Parts: sequence; C-alpha cells; structure tokens
Amino acid sequence: MIELDHVSKWFGGVVAVSDVSFSVGPGVTALLGPNGAGKSTVIRLVCGLTLPSQGRISVLGRQPRRHLDLFGHIGLVPQQEALFESMTAGAFVTLAAELHSLDAPGSAARAALGAVDLDAGDTRALAEYSKGMRQRVKVAQALVHDPPLLVLDEPLDGLDPRQRLTLIALFRRLGSEGRGVLVSSHVLDEVERFGSRVLVMAQGRLAAEGDFHAIRTLMDNRPHRLRLRTDRPRRLGAALLETGTVVGLAVGGGDQLVVDTLDVAGFRRAVAPAARTADARLLELVPLDDDLESVFRYLVGPDPSPTR
Amino acid sequence: MTALFRMFLASQVTRARLLGLGSLGLLSVLLGLALGAGDGGDPATEATELVAAFGLSLFVPVTCLVFASAVLGEPHEDATLVYLWLRPVARWRLVAAAAAAALAVSLPVVVVPLALAAAVAGAGADLVLATVASCSVATVAYTGVFIWLGLRVRRALVWGLAYILVWEGFVARAGGTASLLAIRPHTRSLLAHLAGGSGELIEVSAATGVVLPLVAAALALALAVRRLTRQEVA
Repeated sequence: MIELDHVSKWFGGVVAVSDVSFSVGPGVTALLGPNGAGKSTVIRLVCGLTLPSQGRISVLGRQPRRHLDLFGHIGLVPQQEALFESMTAGAFVTLAAELHSLDAPGSAARAALGAVDLDAGDTRALAEYSKGMRQRVKVAQALVHDPPLLVLDEPLDGLDPRQRLTLIALFRRLGSEGRGVLVSSHVLDEVERFGSRVLVMAQGRLAAEGDFHAIRTLMDNRPHRLRLRTDRPRRLGAALLETGTVVGLAVGGGDQLVVDTLDVAGFRRAVAPAARTADARLLELVPLDDDLESVFRYLVGPDPSPTR
Repeated sequence: MTALFRMFLASQVTRARLLGLGSLGLLSVLLGLALGAGDGGDPATEATELVAAFGLSLFVPVTCLVFASAVLGEPHEDATLVYLWLRPVARWRLVAAAAAAALAVSLPVVVVPLALAAAVAGAGADLVLATVASCSVATVAYTGVFIWLGLRVRRALVWGLAYILVWEGFVARAGGTASLLAIRPHTRSLLAHLAGGSGELIEVSAATGVVLPLVAAALALALAVRRLTRQEVA
C-alpha cells in the first residue's frame, strides 16, 4: 500500500529523513521513534503534504500530490492539535464527509464519531474539548470516508488509558479488515499493544524493521550502561570484571564507575557480592540509558564502549 | 463547495472583526451626515471626496485585508489547512469558496455604509450608484489580491497594511508604472467617472477602472490556486 524507495527529505541544511526505504501492506504497522526522529516527516511525505528531496514514494500505486483522487483513499490524523475551534465535532466531521462527497455525510459523521466514543449531537465547540476528545475527533474525521489507508501521527497522545485501549482495539480491527494502518508513536509499550510490524526510526534513518517482538529482543539485548558511586571504584571495578557480567568499564573522576553490561539482571545480582568482595561501600547505582532515545541511538549505531 | 463556503463564512465572521469594521462603517455614515448638514461647498464633490479618500483609500482595502487574508491564511498558519487540503477537492474550488466567503462578508460591510454615507451627504442617486459600483469592484480586486497574500506570506496583515498605506498611499501616487500596480487609482477613477465629477480623481478611463482591478483579482486568485497546489502543508 505504501512504498518508500530511498527517500530523503531535507529542509535547508537540516536532514529530516535520510535514505529511507520500506513498504507497508495491509494491517497495522507502527512507526516507532523518539521525538525528532523523522516520523512526522515520513507521514507528511506519505500523504503528499511535502515532497521528497530525493527518492520515490508510491501510495496505493500512485504518487501523492499528483493524483488528487488519492486523497479520497487516505485518512490522516495529523500531529498538530489545532482544529476548526468554533465548530462542533459533528459539524467538523460532517464537513470532512461532505468534502469526500459522501451520499449521507451526516450519518457517516455520526458513525465515525460513534466509533471513537464521541457524541455527534454534542453542541459544544471544539475549543471546549479536552485534549483526549480532540484527538478522537481527529481520528473520526480520518475514518469518516472509510479509507483503505489510515495514516495516524501519534494518535494516542493525550488519551487516558481506557481511551487508548478503545482506539488500539479500533486500529487493530481496521487492520484486520485489510486496511493499511500506519501509526506513529514514541512510546514503546504503546506499540507493543498494536501487536504489529514495526518500523523504528532514529535520527532520520530507518534503524530497524520487522516483528515487534524481534525488535524488542534486539532492544533488550543491547549493552546497558550504569553509573555506580563507591568509596573504592578501582577495587569494585576489578571485582565486577571477575563476575563476568561486565563488558566495559571506566573509572570516572572521584568515586564514580561507569559499566556496560549485556545482562542487567545478572549484573544487579552480582554487584552486591562484588562490593562485599572488594570491601567497598556502594553509594549509588543509576542506569544511564534507560530512556527510549538511548535505545534508538543504539539501534542506529551504538556509542563507543568505555575503555576497559 | 457549499460546505466549504459555509465553513469559510463562519470562520470569517467574528464579533471583534464586525465591531471594528462596523464602527468604521458607522464613521463613514456620520461623515456623510456631517457633509449633508454642512452648508459649505458642493455636496457632490465633497461626498465624492469622502468616498474616494475614506472609502476607497482606507475602509474598503482594510476590510478586504482583514477578511481575505485570513480566509486561507489563518488555516495555513495554524495548520488546520490540512483538513481541507487532504481531500479530493480541486484546489480552484477551495480558492473559489474562500473568495466567495470573503466577498460575502466584505461586500455588505463596506458597500452598505458607504452607499448610505453618499446618500445622506445629499449628493444624489448618481453618486450612490457610483459608490456601489466602485466599492464593489474595489472589494473584488482587494479580496483576490489579499487571499493570495494570505497564502503567500506570514503576517499578511502587516504586509497588506504596508501595501495599502505605503505603496498605494505614497509610491503609486507618483504615477507611471507604480500606479498601474495599484488598485486605488483605478477604483477612484471609476467612482469619479460614474459620479460625473471630480476630474482630479480621474487617472484612467472608466473601462480601465473596471477591467484592470478585475483582471488583478483573477490573476491573484490564479496565483493562489497555484500556490495551494504547490506549497507544502503543515
């Protein structure tokens, strides 16, 4: 349904997307990456909102922008929050249905709003809606014309856990019906629930792609970096090397010790006995790279290990 | 297209805009009343000067700027344009609906009070008709130009005011090529021709006073369609 062939996009001197190639078929595909990874640019490229600086994009066999009728087959949930603030949700989604020349725009809007648990008869203006409700209105306007391809940029942002579950179930159902659903997210656990194929982006590049569980294993098996504070960093370092759970180690200034390990659980079990062996007081143990950005950086190209 | 027109129309009509521009309209009527009550010069000449100097030089262009630059400019700036752009709707339809909505608001806001001002100034039916015709032509022209401007630049209000006050107010008054690139000399000429007086306002023929502003509007709208087709959307 979507094919990107060596696509790059730069804005002035800033490279937003670099030589990305992938294809998306029916079902849910998650586009995972930290903020600034290039996910939104990829989504804008797929929808024709911006043109690639290099490479080729095909959506449902056509090039976005060149074929106006293609827009009748795409439903987009954009990232930006702004809506037509003075309109009601019903009027906003009905307008979308009318622009798609649907026969019964009112009932299509009611159905789309119903699918995201919103009341089409609500007379409040969109300006009065909470962030979660606004997100669901955005999803409704993307669904209203029943498109074969849905492109959703961080659609779960601002939703409470129950709403998240509802929308995840909706996306999964739409995917299982044969639609293409491309969903971007920067939340790993969120993507896990899609139970889908994953494209991982980092620093504008496609860092990994495949089944979620394979990617997750790859992420968990990366070297983890931790910082320890102790009164005897060199002796503790030597004792930790003896345990075999450490693959890299650096003694920092003063009381600090930075270690790399491939087995966090094993390291955590070994660290206290090692401290006893070294007769060292363990003052602090802090993971340095548990944030998702570090995971993505590793997938793109791991940082050099500290010297042993 | 009706749905788009309704949406654009609703987004244009805000209380602040109507109050601000309505008070300018009220001011024009009060000025007309003052002229009608005075016993100084020729009412026809003075009323023509009022419509030309206040109406066609300030009230009409500023009103058109406020509505027309916002009709597509605001959705472009706040990124809601994507909800219109990513639909299987021809770009010319988007621009046409925007222009129709901007005109539907601007025309009554400027033409009614200025025609009323001409009427109460006691200058006769010719000036009222001349006011309606010249203001209508001016509204169409400025609307086209400012719709394009709203898509073309950020802070279109500032650029538009600079065009109205600096270009049309000073540069174009020097005559020559500069005045060809201004709407005001043409609509003032049209007013003077139709009102049958104020020779000093006449810079071009009546036909040119109609045709050139309308051509400018058509060209600007064509540029707006081109811009909408080619520009990147947030």
